[in-house]
Amino acid sequence: MDRDKRKIDAFLPVRVVEFQILLSLAAGERHGYGIIRDAEARGDNKVPDVGTLYRALARMTEQGLITGVDRGKVADAGDDERRIYYKLTSLGLKVARAEAARLAALTRAAQLGGLLSEVLS
Amino acid sequence: MNERRWLARSERWLRILLRVYPVDFRDEMGNAVVHTYRDACSAALRSGGVPALMRVWVRALWDSLRNGLGERVRPAASWRRSGNWGRDMEIAMRRLLRAPMFMAAMVGTLTVGLGAFAVVYAVVDKVLIAPMAYERPDDLYFVWRDYGKIFDLKRGWLAGTDVAELQKSGGVIAEAAGLLSQPFLLSTRGGADPIEITVTTTSPNLFDLLGVRPALGRGFARDEVGPKRPPVIVLSHGLWNRLGADPSIVGRTVWVTGGLYTVIGVMPRDFHFVRHASLGPPSRPADAYTTFAMNLATTNPNSGQYAGLIRARRGTPPEQVAAAVGAVGRVIDLRDFQGSGMSIYPTSLKPDLVAEVRPALIVLGFAAAFLLLVLMVNVAALLLARASKREHEFAVSRALGANGAALMRATILEGGLLGVIGGVGGALVGIWGTRAFVALAPLDLPRRESIVVDWRVAAVVIGAGALLGLLAAVTPAVWAARASLSSLLASSAVRGGGGHQRMRRAMVVAQVALSVVLLSAGGLVVRSFEQLLRANPGFTPDGLLTMRVPIPIPLVPKPEDARSLQNRVHAALASLPGVTRVSAANALPMTAGASQSNITIAGAPGNTGDRDHDNPLGDYIATRAGYIEAMGMRLVAGRAFNEQRHDSVREAVVDRVLANHFFPAGSPLGASIDFRGSRLTIVGVVEQARLYDLHRDGRPQVYVRAEDWDFGMRGLAFVVRSGRPPETLIADARSAIRNIDPRLTITQVRTMNEIIDEALSQQRLGAVLIGGFALGALLLAAMGLFGVVSGSVTRRRHELAMRLVLGADYGRVMRLVIGEGALLIGFGVLIGAPGVYAAGGLIRGVLVGVSPSDPLTLVAVAAGLTIVAMAACYLPARRVLDIDPARSLRQ
Repeated sequence: MDRDKRKIDAFLPVRVVEFQILLSLAAGERHGYGIIRDAEARGDNKVPDVGTLYRALARMTEQGLITGVDRGKVADAGDDERRIYYKLTSLGLKVARAEAARLAALTRAAQLGGLLSEVLS
Repeated sequence: MNERRWLARSERWLRILLRVYPVDFRDEMGNAVVHTYRDACSAALRSGGVPALMRVWVRALWDSLRNGLGERVRPAASWRRSGNWGRDMEIAMRRLLRAPMFMAAMVGTLTVGLGAFAVVYAVVDKVLIAPMAYERPDDLYFVWRDYGKIFDLKRGWLAGTDVAELQKSGGVIAEAAGLLSQPFLLSTRGGADPIEITVTTTSPNLFDLLGVRPALGRGFARDEVGPKRPPVIVLSHGLWNRLGADPSIVGRTVWVTGGLYTVIGVMPRDFHFVRHASLGPPSRPADAYTTFAMNLATTNPNSGQYAGLIRARRGTPPEQVAAAVGAVGRVIDLRDFQGSGMSIYPTSLKPDLVAEVRPALIVLGFAAAFLLLVLMVNVAALLLARASKREHEFAVSRALGANGAALMRATILEGGLLGVIGGVGGALVGIWGTRAFVALAPLDLPRRESIVVDWRVAAVVIGAGALLGLLAAVTPAVWAARASLSSLLASSAVRGGGGHQRMRRAMVVAQVALSVVLLSAGGLVVRSFEQLLRANPGFTPDGLLTMRVPIPIPLVPKPEDARSLQNRVHAALASLPGVTRVSAANALPMTAGASQSNITIAGAPGNTGDRDHDNPLGDYIATRAGYIEAMGMRLVAGRAFNEQRHDSVREAVVDRVLANHFFPAGSPLGASIDFRGSRLTIVGVVEQARLYDLHRDGRPQVYVRAEDWDFGMRGLAFVVRSGRPPETLIADARSAIRNIDPRLTITQVRTMNEIIDEALSQQRLGAVLIGGFALGALLLAAMGLFGVVSGSVTRRRHELAMRLVLGADYGRVMRLVIGEGALLIGFGVLIGAPGVYAAGGLIRGVLVGVSPSDPLTLVAVAAGLTIVAMAACYLPARRVLDIDPARSLRQ
C-alpha cells in the first residue's frame, strides 16, 4: 500500500494539460478532439494546443496512466474509424484522485490564508 | 462543397506542419493530430467561416513549431524503447507469420545451409584455429631429425641422447622431454582379462612442460625416472572412467604389461595429449602416462625412436627457437655422426598436428562459403519474388508519402529476421551435425575430441545467418524503394510486376555460376574418391580378419618362448572352423607400421654410384610363413616363404618397386641385401601391398621372416582368411587365445576392409560433404530457375496462349520458353567457368588420380547441371502451356 502511494505521489503535481486529460477521461473514453472539447466546455482558461495534447497523451500512455482503446469497445464511434480513443488506467484514476485531493488541500489552504476572497464549495 | 475544399487544404497544410515533428512522433501520433486539427478546422469553419479557419491555421503553425521542436529536444515518450526498428521488426515478423509456407521454405533452406556451414565452421575452427589447451601453446615445439645426406629421412625420431642434449642446452629452450607411444596391456585383476591401452612413456617433466596438472593425485616428481625405482602411472580421464571412475584408485597398483605400477594421478577431463608421429598420422591420444625406466642420456645415439617435445622461453620467436635447436643439432652431428650432416629442427605443435588435414579442411571451408553464397542469392531471389507480389502495396505507400528508406528498412529487416531464425536453426542442426561428423570422422583426425558447437561457434553461425539475410535483402530492398506508382501503372499493362524479372534473372545467372563452380569441385572430389576406392591395394582385403596378439616381455621373457607361443596362437587360429589360411606380420597394409632401414644391394645392375640412389630407405616387414598367400598378394617371381626354415639362410621377399629400382631389366632372385650386419637372400618378388596410400606405391618393401629377427616380434598382427564373414570369427578367436593363456588378449580386432575404410575415412567424409554441398547448390539453383521461369511464363501466358491460338505449334512455344531458361543457364556456366578453373587450382592438392581439369568430370557436371536446369524450366512451362489457350485468354 505504502509503495503504491509513493508511486502515485511521484506523479504529483501533474501538469495542467495532464490534469485536463485525466479529468476528461475520468468521465469516459475520449479521442483527442473530445478532450479539447471537454476543456472548452468546462471553460478552462487554458485550452491545450493539439500538439501539446498529443505529446502529453504519448507521455501518459508510456507512463501507464492512460491507454489507447481498441476500436470495437467504443460505444459511439460512428464517425471516423481511424481515431484513437483513450481511457484511464486504474493507476491513472488513482493519480487523478490524488492530484484532485492535492489541489483541494491547496485550495483549502489558500482559503484559510485569505488568498481566496470567494468561498468555493 | 466549399467546406470540403477548405478542409482538404487544411489537411495539406497540417501535413506540412507535421514535418516539424520528429519522425517517431509523426509515425505514432501524426494521423491523430491531423484528424484532431481537422475536427477543429471543420468546427471553426462552421462557426466563424474562413477567418476562423485561418486563426486555427496560424495557431496550428505556432503549435507545431513549439511542440514539434520541443518534441525533437525532449521526446514525450521513449519511442526508441523498441524504436522504429523494433516496430518494423514486429511488422516484419507479423508479415512472415502471415505467409507460413514462404517462411517455412526460407527458414528450412537457411537452416539446412547454415547447419552445414555450422558443422564445417566448427571443424575448421576447432581443428585449425582454436589454440590447444596447453599453457602458452605457441611456445611448444616437436623436434625431429633430418638425416640430410646420410639417408633419405627428413622427419625422423630423436635418439634419447638428443633429448638429453636438448634438456641440458638451456638458453631459449626452457624444457625438453622425450616421448614414446606404445600399446600396453592393462589389467586391474592381477593380469587376467587385460585391455590394450596407449601409453605415453615420457620424461618426468611432461606435465610441467605442457603446463597442466592432474585432476586427482599428483604428476611425476622430477626424479621419478630411470632404472631401479617403483614404476608409477598417471591415467587419462577417459581411462579412469573406463576403469570405473573410482577416486580411490590413486595409490593403488595396476598390472601393466607384466609389471605392477602405482597409480599416482588422474588427468583432467579436457586434457588430451597426442604424440606426433615421424611418419603417418599422429598416434592415438594417450590413455596413460609413465616415465622412462632408463636414463635417456645413456641410450644408443643411432637408435632414433623418441619424439622430442620442447618448450621455449616465453615469447621466443620461432626463428630463434630453430636457431637454438639447430645449434644443439650441430653438437650431436659432430659427436655421433662425425659431422656427416644430420640436423635437428623444431616444428610448431599445432601446424604440425594439422598439416595433413589442412588442405582438405580449407577446401571444405571454401565449399561451405560457396554454399552460403548460393544460399544468399537464393534468399535474395525469394525475397525479391515476395517483394514483387507486394509491388502494389509499395507503390501505393510510396505515392502516399511513405519514404523509400522506410520501405527499404522493412524489407531488409525481413531478410535479417529470416537470417537470424535460420541461423538459430542452423546452429541447432550444427550441434547434432557435428556429433554425427565426429562419429564419422577418422579416428586420427587431429583434435577430433575438441570438435563441438559451442557458444562462440553458434554466435558466428547466427551472425552469418543475419548478415546473409541482410545482404540478400539489399537488392529487393533497393528495388522496393524505387517502386513507384507510375512504373507500376506502366508495367501493369503486361499484367503486373515486370521490373524485378531482370533482377531475378541476374540472380539465377549468379546461382548457376556459383553452382557450376561448386558442382565441378564436388564432382572432382567425388571422382577422386571413386578412383581411390577402385585402386588396387596389392592384396585381397575381402574375407580377412586381423588382430594383434601382444606378447609382453614380462609375461614371456625369452624370445624363443614367445615364438613357440606364437606357433600355438597360429595353430589355434588355423583350427577355427571355416578358416583357410592364417599368418602374421608386424605391419599390416594401410597402417604405416613398418620399420624403416636403408636397402643396399651390392653389385645390383641398377646401382648408379650415387649414394642417395643406391641406399633408398625401405620398409622392412616381418612376417610368418604363408603371409603372402593369406593376404592374397600377387607373386610376380620366385616363391613366398614356405614352412621349412633354415637357420643358415635368411630369406627375403621384395616388392616390385624394389626389384625395378635395383634390377631394371633382370631378376633379383638370388641377390642379397645387407641388413643389420647379415645378408638377406631374395627368394621372391611380389606386388606391393600398400602400407600408406591406397592409390600409389610407397617406399620399396622387404619382407623378412618374423622368426629370423626380433623387431616387431612381440606385437605380431595375425591375419585370418576364412570362408565365413570375418566378423563372425571374432568371438571364436578371442576364446581360442584366452584358452592358451588368460593373460593374453587380442587387440585391434578389425577386418581388413575396416582398416581400409578407416584409412579412407577422411577422403570419404570430404567427398560426402563436398558432394552434398554441390548437390545442395544445384538444388537451390534449380529452385531459382524454376521460380524465374514460372514467373515469366505466368506473366506471358496471354501472349503464349495467343501464339498457340494463332497456330504456333506446342513444341515451338515450349522451345521459346525453355530457350529463355537455357540462355540464363548458358550465361551462368560461362561466368562460372573461370571459377571452375580457380577452384581446380585450389583443390589440386586433395585430388587423387584426377586432374583438376578432368574433361570427363567437367562435361558430366555441365551435362548434369543442364539436365536439372532444363527440367526446372520445363516443368513450369508445361504447367502453363497445358492450360487450354482459350481459358488462358479469358482470364
